[in-house]
Amino acid sequence: MNYVALKMLFGDRAKYLMLLAGLTFSTMLIVQQGSIFWGLMTWSQSGITNVNAPVWVTDSNINQVEEIKPLADTTVNVVRSVSGVEWAVPLYKGVQRARLRDGNYEQIALVGIEASTLIGRPGRVLEGKIEDLRSPEAVAIDQLGVERLGGPENIHLGTTFEINDHRVRVVAIVKTQKSFQNFPFVYTTYERALSVTPQERRKLSYVLASPVSGVSPEELARRIHEETGLGAFTEEQFGWKTVQWILKNTGIGVNFGTTVLLGFIVGMAISGQTFYLFTVENLPQFGALKAIGASTGMLARMILLQSFTVGTIGYGVGVGLATLFGLTAGSGGRLPFKETWPLLVGVAVALLLICTVSSAISIRKLAKLEPAIVFRG
Amino acid sequence: MVLRRLSFWLALAGIILTIATLWGANKKVAPPPPMETPPQNPYQVTVAAAGIIEAVNENVRIAPPVSGLVTKVYVTVADHVEQGDPLFQLDDRELRAQLRTKTDSLPSAAARIAEQEIRLRDVQDQLKRLQSVTDRRAVSEDDVQRKWHEAEGAKRALIRARADLHLARSERDEVQALLNRLTVRAPRSATILQVNVRAGEYAMVNAIEPLILLGDTETLQVRADIDEVNAPLVVPGSPAVAYLKGFTNKAIALQFDRIEPYIVPKRSLTGDNRERVDTRVLQVIYRFERPTFPIYVGQQVDVYIERADHPLPNPENGPPDLAIQQSTHSPTNSPEGEKRESHE
Repeated sequence: MNYVALKMLFGDRAKYLMLLAGLTFSTMLIVQQGSIFWGLMTWSQSGITNVNAPVWVTDSNINQVEEIKPLADTTVNVVRSVSGVEWAVPLYKGVQRARLRDGNYEQIALVGIEASTLIGRPGRVLEGKIEDLRSPEAVAIDQLGVERLGGPENIHLGTTFEINDHRVRVVAIVKTQKSFQNFPFVYTTYERALSVTPQERRKLSYVLASPVSGVSPEELARRIHEETGLGAFTEEQFGWKTVQWILKNTGIGVNFGTTVLLGFIVGMAISGQTFYLFTVENLPQFGALKAIGASTGMLARMILLQSFTVGTIGYGVGVGLATLFGLTAGSGGRLPFKETWPLLVGVAVALLLICTVSSAISIRKLAKLEPAIVFRG
Repeated sequence: MVLRRLSFWLALAGIILTIATLWGANKKVAPPPPMETPPQNPYQVTVAAAGIIEAVNENVRIAPPVSGLVTKVYVTVADHVEQGDPLFQLDDRELRAQLRTKTDSLPSAAARIAEQEIRLRDVQDQLKRLQSVTDRRAVSEDDVQRKWHEAEGAKRALIRARADLHLARSERDEVQALLNRLTVRAPRSATILQVNVRAGEYAMVNAIEPLILLGDTETLQVRADIDEVNAPLVVPGSPAVAYLKGFTNKAIALQFDRIEPYIVPKRSLTGDNRERVDTRVLQVIYRFERPTFPIYVGQQVDVYIERADHPLPNPENGPPDLAIQQSTHSPTNSPEGEKRESHE
């Protein structure tokens, strides 16, 4: 019986292709838009993920990572005094202007990390040594910075440029995750970051902390908040806070949500309609089957098999095309494209829904089918 | 059937490609390990502080007693000096000249005493002779009286001559004392930390920079700055350890010395000309034995002080106490209450 069902499905080449194309493009659209959306969210959290610290401490009213509310210098020691803290180090973060030799200006995201431990430094160093940050005037620049400030022929190890009229020298080139604002990341030590930035009453942007073994980051964040009244968040909590802020304050969520919904509706419309037509055209065959004694349940199973087969194939091709798009168009981090497991599972569920709804319409038709239709011609 | 096969393989390829991509991309990169071990808290509960190493009993800024030309500097940086050792010499030519004059006037004063003594003896002799004449007619009463006065005058002159000698000696001693003052000496045994004066320079009394900085570098102490928020958590006598910046594998054990009773504004040393005051800190002084590795006055350290218990504001006890206080005070103290009373 299943064989007959599949034979019927693949027999009508035009309808099959139509059905497949509808489902494929629907899947591709949802996956591609969803991935770009998630890619943007990843970029928005790059300020956090690039630093890679378990717990972030700052003002309790902070909304997102790029919104800096500076603290007093002694906060580092206040955090160190909380029980369960293995270490706590200061971090400077802020947008500054870099001026090149040729007179060009570029906005940069300056990150100042604690000099002796270099906690918060990027994980991948492409050129040079990150330890050299401790030498005078030293900074490390990321691959985006190299690209922005004039390419590898202008920016290489040993190049000097200015940050707020202070001369700095490139000692390392690092790999970072791009940020939402798309400013290049420039790393230096905390003390140097304070001396090259303009005077302010308070300059400590964040305190990074790590729990002792046996205490979870969540527990430590809770303790720090309770004992000091400061805002303390784990890396994930702070990431979600940032994502929520962006969804609430920008149109990005609505924009991508609409596109995904459209993909879903269009996919459902095309496949539902085509599948219905397909069933209607094959009514005599189904009638014949019914006449020779097939029950409605059996016919329903046949329809479901057909619909899920085409659905699975459409899903596979669609997801593959979206990945291919991501690999080509988004190569080298030019496009915020990031596929995730939850997205793929979500799309699979959506497709299951499309297939079930389409086949339900057809099954309803078959249930009312009289076997006598075969003889009516 | 070609179509079926093709679409099937395409789908399979798509899924495999996606899974492979996701597998590679979603691996979370582990954070790079810290370059140096960050300073770690050795106690169960702790109060952390930023500390600076200084010489015990603070440093001595040596200034000259008077402004003057420096002729000789006896010490160099890192010398050890005992109490009373000369540090530098101010120009003393003028006072030496004065001293010579004063000294030279002493023999003259001494000679005058001898002279007066002889004269006194002479007059006394004459007086005695006159008095020994018993015949009133041979010697007039007037002569005897006059000689007696002369003898008394000679006695006073001798006293004055002696006083003059004493004065001349004192004057010589004064010049000598002023002269001694021009050699500046160490007020206590210490190590020379800085020498900011060279022979030939003019030393001003109210110079901003000390001419010589003395300090005891044998025994050092740590001045730990504790945020005023954490000030109530520090119990006098708590044990503590310090770590040098970037050298965290060796802890320096500290012994409690004292808590400074006055909370001072914290100074952040950013290397900028202007220093920022952003909070106030409690300063606790700790002493320590010099460790085997080199350590210098002025170095920054991270200090961890053991906290005896959790004397933190307890959420169960804190706010209600406050509420009770407010409720007991408000009826009598609030201006509204007073107003109401005055109306009645």
